[in-house]
Amino acid sequence: MSKFKKVWLSVLIATFLFSLTAVAAWTKKPFEGVTIRAALIGGGNYEKLYEEFIPKWEKLTGAKVVIVAKMSHFELDKKFKLDFAAGAADYDIMTNHTSFAPQYDKFGVLLDLKPYFSKKDLSDFLPSVLKICYIGGRLIQIPRHIDISNIYYRADLFNDPAKKKAFKEKYGYDLAPPETWDQAYDIAEFLNNPPALYGTQFTGKEEAFSGRFYEMLLSNGGRLFDSHWKPVFNSPIGVKTLNYFKKLYQSGLVPPGVVNYVWDDVAKNFAQGKIAFHLDWGGWYPWYDDPKSSKVAKTFGYSLMPKGDAGVRVHWSGAHSFSVLKSSKHKAAAVSLIKFITSEAAGKFEAELGFGAVRKSVWDYVLKTTRDKRKLNFYKTYKYALENDEIVTPPLIPEWPSISNILYPQLQAAILGEKPVKKALDDAARKVEELMAKDGYYR
Amino acid sequence: MLKSKEKLLIFSLLSPSLLIILFIVAFPLGFSLYVSFTSYSLLTPGSMVFTGLDNYISLIHDSVFWGSLKNTVIFLTIAINVEFFLGLGISLLLSRELKGGRVLRTISMIPMMFAPVLVGFQFKWFFNDQVGMVNNLLYTLHLVKKPVLWLINGDLAMFSILVAEIWRGTSFMIIILTAGLMSLPKDPFEAAEVDGASGFQKFRYITFPLLSPFIFIAMAIRSLDIATAFDIVRIMTGGGPAHRTELIWTYVYRLGIVDTKFGLGCAMSYVTVVISIAFAYYLFKQLLKVRG
Repeated sequence: MSKFKKVWLSVLIATFLFSLTAVAAWTKKPFEGVTIRAALIGGGNYEKLYEEFIPKWEKLTGAKVVIVAKMSHFELDKKFKLDFAAGAADYDIMTNHTSFAPQYDKFGVLLDLKPYFSKKDLSDFLPSVLKICYIGGRLIQIPRHIDISNIYYRADLFNDPAKKKAFKEKYGYDLAPPETWDQAYDIAEFLNNPPALYGTQFTGKEEAFSGRFYEMLLSNGGRLFDSHWKPVFNSPIGVKTLNYFKKLYQSGLVPPGVVNYVWDDVAKNFAQGKIAFHLDWGGWYPWYDDPKSSKVAKTFGYSLMPKGDAGVRVHWSGAHSFSVLKSSKHKAAAVSLIKFITSEAAGKFEAELGFGAVRKSVWDYVLKTTRDKRKLNFYKTYKYALENDEIVTPPLIPEWPSISNILYPQLQAAILGEKPVKKALDDAARKVEELMAKDGYYR
Repeated sequence: MLKSKEKLLIFSLLSPSLLIILFIVAFPLGFSLYVSFTSYSLLTPGSMVFTGLDNYISLIHDSVFWGSLKNTVIFLTIAINVEFFLGLGISLLLSRELKGGRVLRTISMIPMMFAPVLVGFQFKWFFNDQVGMVNNLLYTLHLVKKPVLWLINGDLAMFSILVAEIWRGTSFMIIILTAGLMSLPKDPFEAAEVDGASGFQKFRYITFPLLSPFIFIAMAIRSLDIATAFDIVRIMTGGGPAHRTELIWTYVYRLGIVDTKFGLGCAMSYVTVVISIAFAYYLFKQLLKVRG
């Protein structure tokens, strides 16, 4: 073989080997061999996202996801706090929630995601939602969906001509989903026919009750705290607000068991057709509309929540989200996974399950593609509330769960008639003030 | 008499196990006792500052703590006693030579196999005022016109929780007492038969004294184990409404985990431990008395 041929052959082989390496490098998946451990909210429709999107992400990236915990947020909350305190959080990503996040952030374990998300990445999220994902200027969570409450009502009752006529004669205005809390009372009183049918209901236990009180207090023009973090919910507006709940309870317009109800209890009652109207999260819509789980499927209506004395609708709200832990050894992969499961495609998938979208593009999509008139009304109402009403979170401070724990037993004591309303609120305010003082808010 | 070399060998062979036990049992106990004298909050790791008896003093001034203590004593007394009498009655039936006795004994163990959380959900549904089985049954039989507030009214709520706990706990009594009854010697009964003793006399003067060690052991174990009722209470009422069914365990959870006041939660846990030890000590003293 001539010298030229030898050189030529060497170059050829070298080029072939280089191309092979380049192709191999090009086809190698970005997180091949990486394992991401995740602690996620489980149950109901929450898990469908993981079933649909995590295998796709694994296929794209070559990484593997191990879900180390899949439980309700109540259980997760307990786990997270103990894990963080003990330094035993061995997962890369976790389910978070805007109401719980300040507590977790106090442990200093959550990664600031700002450097990992460009302005373009974030531009599609609703600004009001994105705002509550920051703590101290750090983006510690990426929103998954947002929950707000509106009215679910028995349209068969509201559209009954005989009832419409009788209502107009008695109250002087048309029977329709209530615009104000006063109207809500009238309608509850009019439709109340216990024990077969109650006018309305509310969640009367735990944070579910504190939150309901909070949003009505705000819509009436009240506040939980003044600018110095002194509790002011025992103001005359607070008394009026709690009296409203007490009057509903004492007049028998709500099931007497409400003080023991949380979300699944009110949902079961409404699905059984035992409640004329009530406030509930948007996420329940598919369940209410499924004839397998609900007697009111295909017949109930959905409308905006009532306004308070201040002339505004206030929605106590919170966004489910995902966070990455600072301790993660695979931060890039963890962030990539979060981006994937909060992407536009994931948002569309979850919006179709009934969850409140947090991306503008997802809202555009569902409004354009939904054909079912009732469902379209649901989406339109939801979006209207997100864009036009006051969307509030509980105070984003780590003390909120403790405040709620002080508040709701006192609210219960008042509506059960164990204590006068003013005394119950004063007692709660005194205890909250002690808590805030202990935690250094008045130094 | 063991020689000192043998003693040393025994001690060196046991020392790994002793060290492990010390680390697993004694250290957490000692540490949590220390935490009970600090202001430690889960959310503020730097807050483990020694505050002396502050936590214990604040418990003394806490009306909810006293309420929960009272509820716990009532709950414990009723649950243990009812479980005992039910367990004894059923054991006396099951310990006889019955056709299908083995199957019945197996069935009687089923409630014990349920996790307390599941029992809580099951009985919460039974006693739900609107869609619950109990109220629906009462309506159907025309026994009530208005829903009975099983989980709202203070006494009824405590009753409902007790029903759930007794349903779950009686199985344990049945197992221990049936085993005890089946292991009793036959001679004293035969002698009593010859002497013409009545059924009640045989029970009062032979069965009961011979069974006493089993009774005290079963009651001691149940009184310590009954704290697992926490899950039942948390699911059925959450300690409410307005703290009406708050037990010491639900309040410890509320303070320590939900409110993240770990120091205060530990202090309250130690109060619970002292009460449990006192109760167990009393039972064991009675047991020793019975055994002569």
